[in-house]
Amino acid sequence: MKIVVIGGSGLIGTKVVAKLRARGHQVIAASPNTGINTITGEGLAEALTNTSVVIDLANSPSWEDKAVMEFFQTAGRNLLAAEINAGVKHHVALSIVGVLLMQDSGYMRAKKAQEDLIMQSGVPYTIIRSTQFMEFIKGIADQAAEGNVVHISDVQFQPIAAEDVATFVAEAALEPPIDGIKEIAGPGRFTMPEVVTRYLQSTNDPRKVVPNSHAQYYGAQITTTSLVPAGQARLGAINLETWLAGQLQHA
Amino acid sequence: MKRAEHPEIEVPVLSKAVLEQERKMLLDLGNDITSVRDKNDLLALFSKRIKSLFYFTHTIVTLIDYKDETYTPFLLDDENSPIRAHTLYQQLIKARFSLNEPFIQAVLHTADPISFILEDIMDKPLSPLFLRVNHEEGVQEILMTRLMKEGKPMGFIHIYTDRPGSFTKEFRSVIKGIAPQLSGAVSNILKNEEILNKEKEKSFLLDFSSDIAKVRTKVELAAAVHSSLSKLTDLKAYAIRRINEDGATLSPYIFDPGPIPPDKKEQDRLVNTNFPINDGLQNRVLESNIPLLFNVDREIQRGITSSYLQFWKRMEYKTLAGIRLRNAETNLGILWLAIEEINIQLLQGICSQISIAMANIIANEQVSKKQEEQAFLLDFSHDITQVRTRTELQDAIIRVIDKTMHTKLAMIRVIDEDGFHLSPFMFDRTLFKNAEATFDKMSVNRITIEEPYTSRVLASKEGLVFNVAEEIRDGNAYARLWETTGLKNMYSLPLRAGDKNIGTIWLLANRLSKLMMKGICSQISIAIANIQANEKLLAYKKQLEIENDYLKEQIHTIYNFSEIIGHGVAMQEVYRLVSVVAGTNSTVLVLGETGTGKELIARAIHNTSSRKDKLMVKVNCAALPASLIESELFGHERGAFTGAIDRRIGKFELADHSTLFLDEIGELPLEAQAKLLRVIQEREVERLGGKQTIKVDVRLIAATNRNLEDAVKAGRFREDLFYRLNVFPIQLPSLRERPEDIEPLANFFVARYSRITGRKIKNISPKVLQQLGSYTWPGNVREMEHLIERSVLLTPGDTLQEVYIPRGTTAEKQNPAQLANRSLEEVERSYIIETLQRCAGKISGAGGAAEILQIPGNTLHSKMKKLGIGKADYFLTK
Repeated sequence: MKIVVIGGSGLIGTKVVAKLRARGHQVIAASPNTGINTITGEGLAEALTNTSVVIDLANSPSWEDKAVMEFFQTAGRNLLAAEINAGVKHHVALSIVGVLLMQDSGYMRAKKAQEDLIMQSGVPYTIIRSTQFMEFIKGIADQAAEGNVVHISDVQFQPIAAEDVATFVAEAALEPPIDGIKEIAGPGRFTMPEVVTRYLQSTNDPRKVVPNSHAQYYGAQITTTSLVPAGQARLGAINLETWLAGQLQHA
Repeated sequence: MKRAEHPEIEVPVLSKAVLEQERKMLLDLGNDITSVRDKNDLLALFSKRIKSLFYFTHTIVTLIDYKDETYTPFLLDDENSPIRAHTLYQQLIKARFSLNEPFIQAVLHTADPISFILEDIMDKPLSPLFLRVNHEEGVQEILMTRLMKEGKPMGFIHIYTDRPGSFTKEFRSVIKGIAPQLSGAVSNILKNEEILNKEKEKSFLLDFSSDIAKVRTKVELAAAVHSSLSKLTDLKAYAIRRINEDGATLSPYIFDPGPIPPDKKEQDRLVNTNFPINDGLQNRVLESNIPLLFNVDREIQRGITSSYLQFWKRMEYKTLAGIRLRNAETNLGILWLAIEEINIQLLQGICSQISIAMANIIANEQVSKKQEEQAFLLDFSHDITQVRTRTELQDAIIRVIDKTMHTKLAMIRVIDEDGFHLSPFMFDRTLFKNAEATFDKMSVNRITIEEPYTSRVLASKEGLVFNVAEEIRDGNAYARLWETTGLKNMYSLPLRAGDKNIGTIWLLANRLSKLMMKGICSQISIAIANIQANEKLLAYKKQLEIENDYLKEQIHTIYNFSEIIGHGVAMQEVYRLVSVVAGTNSTVLVLGETGTGKELIARAIHNTSSRKDKLMVKVNCAALPASLIESELFGHERGAFTGAIDRRIGKFELADHSTLFLDEIGELPLEAQAKLLRVIQEREVERLGGKQTIKVDVRLIAATNRNLEDAVKAGRFREDLFYRLNVFPIQLPSLRERPEDIEPLANFFVARYSRITGRKIKNISPKVLQQLGSYTWPGNVREMEHLIERSVLLTPGDTLQEVYIPRGTTAEKQNPAQLANRSLEEVERSYIIETLQRCAGKISGAGGAAEILQIPGNTLHSKMKKLGIGKADYFLTK
């Protein structure tokens, strides 16, 4: 089966490509570097020829509200139009748990627009909404740090390892489309200060976590439970401790 | 995994010269490689140089594509390859071989050249096909070396030999040494190819751009598109479709059906079809900002039934690229290309140029259409200015509507004088040929401005459009009539002159240009307003003519010949003269004291003459200052004298073919007399300040109360003029001279003024008649008329009892010349006789002579005795 992974050279993309190739599929890792550009449409038609499944893992190069909206809309429209023309049978996209609850954020609005485009396109689809990746923890700590103090809102947090995300995505790509949304999350639910504190400890980071109740995530107003699945979710296999251990090994 | 074993035995010691030879070969090869620009040269040079020292059969270069982790042939040794004839060769050179298999993984993970015996590995699972194919053609061993770029494998050089053991240590070391240079050369070739492609693209676009820049018309655009697109390899056919004005369909605009000419009939059908936008294909293209590649079979499978898709299928086009043509934010159309592969950047370049050209052409077309429309409007405006009547206007309107809007006039209704009703003004009955009876029935109806449709139209600023189908649904009775024409919309506009509604215009059409309608309607409005004004003017004119006739009639009755009262001998003579002279053209001179009815006689002459159908023109020569009399008689040109601000026609010209009555001719200044004489002689006039003479045919009647002979003697009147005028004199008797007419005249005037003032006076008392008869009437009939008028006013009953004759003024004034050279006695005697005559012999009492002479009756008797006045004296003379 020919599978095209848009954003195939990214954090999740590389893992998904590897997993699918390991299963013997013909996988194209599409990215502007490999001559396939969803914004300009370059190489898209050729790449999608005879393709059964498209997995869209592309992320906006800019996080600015307007730019991110434009990215997801343009890329989504172009990709879906090309998929329809090429007769693609399954469109898999990665979205975010709580995307509808965090519409205060421009990025979330753009992700919702992307989901809407998929649902309206007529291409059979599976949307996977994931919680935050464990790989984001460092970034969360850094952006919230003021000197030696890290201000973290005490919202609930259920991070998942990128490896698990890739597994779920690859799995979904090989299953028939569900024409709906599937949520995935990490195996353990914490508060965000807990996780950040644990991370800083394990990396011997001297900074201290100060929890607050502002319920903010990257500046956007959210609720305590916005970041965790509300209902049934598939849970990853790698728990925080295992993941931390793995990180230390790499380091 | 088994690699080829090379027993390292008996390695000869290389002489310096041999080493030098090898070194030189490598150097030459290095030089060659760096100078290579064409990819075919590279492998040929490489083979040639290496073969001069070592043996091998052929070599190829493959490149890695990390996108799907494969490698694929890039440089081929077409000259020496033993597998060229193999049936799988064509498939192999295009194949993509997976990197995920043991053979190539071994190569990837070995820095040095690595050789394999084909027999050993070709049948291993996942081993690439080319190994077996080579083996089938006699190749025994393969030497693989990776080519590195920026520390990452970019491809491989494959060297094949049919003699095992060819890949000696030296060979390997040479290959190892040359590999980096080879990598560099391949990278260069790749870059070069990329640059060349970009350059080709750019120059293509540049050519296209310069072609397109010259485009002004659709035909030129078609030529430019054709010459450019024909340069695209693999392009089988193309078509540009343009979005129609309705915004819901597209029609072929420019197309090239490709090398196989399709069935002519089918092509015509396609060319003349409006393809709906939302057919599942065109809308996809128009909504996509990237070019889309369509697989014809797949779209047919998908259930898209557009006729052109079936056409493509019959034409055996497998894939088509659809790109929207867009100018700024507006979609103009679609470019369809029957092509297998698309170069996005090139296509977008082409499309943006076509779009601009198309937008320009469309704008141009619109401009020329506007110009054409305006020219029509100008023509129409010209036509309209010439229009004076309703039929002319109708012709002009029907023509312009047909020419500019290709429809017919349904109806123009015009608001009536009452400002409330609307009557049909004009319509084109042929429009309703399918429903003439209904139309006739409906059109004759006089509607009011409150009729719902009319009132809406009149209230609208720029008119309304009624969709016929919708109106039928809403139960509009008119719409049934409209429907019979088969046209979709009824356009109705108010006709306005200034701010005032003057009517409504109704046009049936599928589509009309609003601007055009406005332009035409304003012209029609003006024309209708003009025609209405014209019609009104004509009506006024007619009315005035009738009034004029009536007035003439009235004048005629007032100054009727028969109204001249008088049966006496003197008057009978006048009548005789009048009837003699009337029928001729002779100049008549009417003489008589003031108030004797000179004008009446003049009119009587005119009215019994052949000129009676025209009005007699009268000039009172005494009534005008000397300075103006000439211009009055002869007219003047503009600027003839101070104050002559425009041309004026003189009375002579006015009286052409009629009669000119010159009253009080005796008062005419001498200067004017000379001119008058000339006109009478020459029968032509010259306006003051004018240069040309005007022939006139005027009959002259002059009148005066003066003795013209005396005036001639005194030098106040030109003798020659006098003789000219005195052709046929008519002397009117004074009232004194015809006392027998006093009673009828008195009765006549009493009747007239009783009627005018509303009195009921029927009789005149004998006393009054006596008084009237005894008065000398210096003012003649006119004096009597006014005296009676006054007396009528002062009389309360039905009998005129009293007249107010002026006293003590008559005798003294009368003919003083006759009284000269007489004795007192003579004067006294003749005066008493005269008075007695007037008083019909009555000596004393009311109306008696004593009363007039203001002496007692007895005194008069004794005076009569003394002077010897007897009855015979005062009864005999008359």
